[in-house]
Amino acid sequence: MAAFTISQNLLRHAFNLPFSFFSLQGLKPVVPTEAPPIIFATPTKLTSDSTVYDYAGKNRVPELQKFFQKADGVPIYLKRGLPDQMLYRTTMALTVGGTIYCLIALYMAAQPKK
Amino acid sequence: MTHQTHAYHMVNPSPWPLTGALSAFLLTSGLIMWFHFYYTLLLIAGLLASTMTMFQWWRDVVREGTYQGHHTAPVQKGLRYGMVLFIISEVFFFAGFFWAFYHSSLAPTPQTGGQWPPTGILPLDPMEVPLLNTAVLLASGVTITWAHHSLMEADRKESTQALLMTIALGTYFTYLQLSEYSETSFTISDGIYGSTFFMSTGFHGLHVIIGTTFLTTCYFRQQLYHFTSNHHFGFEAAAWYWHFVDVVWLFLYISIYWWGS
Repeated sequence: MAAFTISQNLLRHAFNLPFSFFSLQGLKPVVPTEAPPIIFATPTKLTSDSTVYDYAGKNRVPELQKFFQKADGVPIYLKRGLPDQMLYRTTMALTVGGTIYCLIALYMAAQPKK
Repeated sequence: MTHQTHAYHMVNPSPWPLTGALSAFLLTSGLIMWFHFYYTLLLIAGLLASTMTMFQWWRDVVREGTYQGHHTAPVQKGLRYGMVLFIISEVFFFAGFFWAFYHSSLAPTPQTGGQWPPTGILPLDPMEVPLLNTAVLLASGVTITWAHHSLMEADRKESTQALLMTIALGTYFTYLQLSEYSETSFTISDGIYGSTFFMSTGFHGLHVIIGTTFLTTCYFRQQLYHFTSNHHFGFEAAAWYWHFVDVVWLFLYISIYWWGS
């Protein structure tokens, strides 16, 4: 049996998944080489066989790692698509627009009072 | 497809340094417009822009480290150096305010009545709420160390509990300090005592709020499984910052609240 790190052991025992599924930080995720055994008659999703008490507590880091490592040439600050674009455009509009307005306001404030 | 043959992080071009610099410009000129003309629009724009810049810049750092794996050992070493140097710069920032306090309090002038505290100033009792505040921050130093050790031992439940306790203690400190501010018989305009007291404790309080925000971010990242038992530098950086805030308070308490009363 290979020696596991503490984090691997934790994930292994919590989620009861094969060794090949886990990715360590700093490394690219490894695609699983074997599917977990199908326990129920109807096919189940991978990673759903866990003891977490609500769906929101699921560990989504491996799928997010795969998502953000897609070689699509999109820079990191726009990688998620539309929400990133909206935030970026709002920030740029606020800063660049605000700077232009500010320069105008400062110019006006520097005028001698009538 | 090309891959890098070194362990360092070549960051994607990013707009956040530019938006950060422009927000700083908006903040400073916004302050001027507010002070001189009671006009708040620029200041609000500056605050909003700087908050959005910080959110997106640090979001990208999390994406680069946790999701893209760029935070290799040498990169993490660089991040550690960076955090240490930043905290040292903050130490110097507070050193200025302590200098001002000691300059005025060690050799009181005729303007203060030749004494410290100055004539007419009723300082807060150091054995009351300020002492409680000291206990609260010291306890929070214990809880964050507990959280760190639990994290390193992969004990998810305990590290979450200890982190929440630290955040609660930090919030309690802020609440107590705000209530103390409403209890003082003096204001920031009450001579050199008021100036040194409120500038020092005020900036310290701001740093407590920043530290609490950093810890809260760590709490959410912990819930999202970002930290592993041997790689959690974001948490360590928050813990270092928190200990720094605690030490500054100890200096404040001993100098201003205790010796200075």
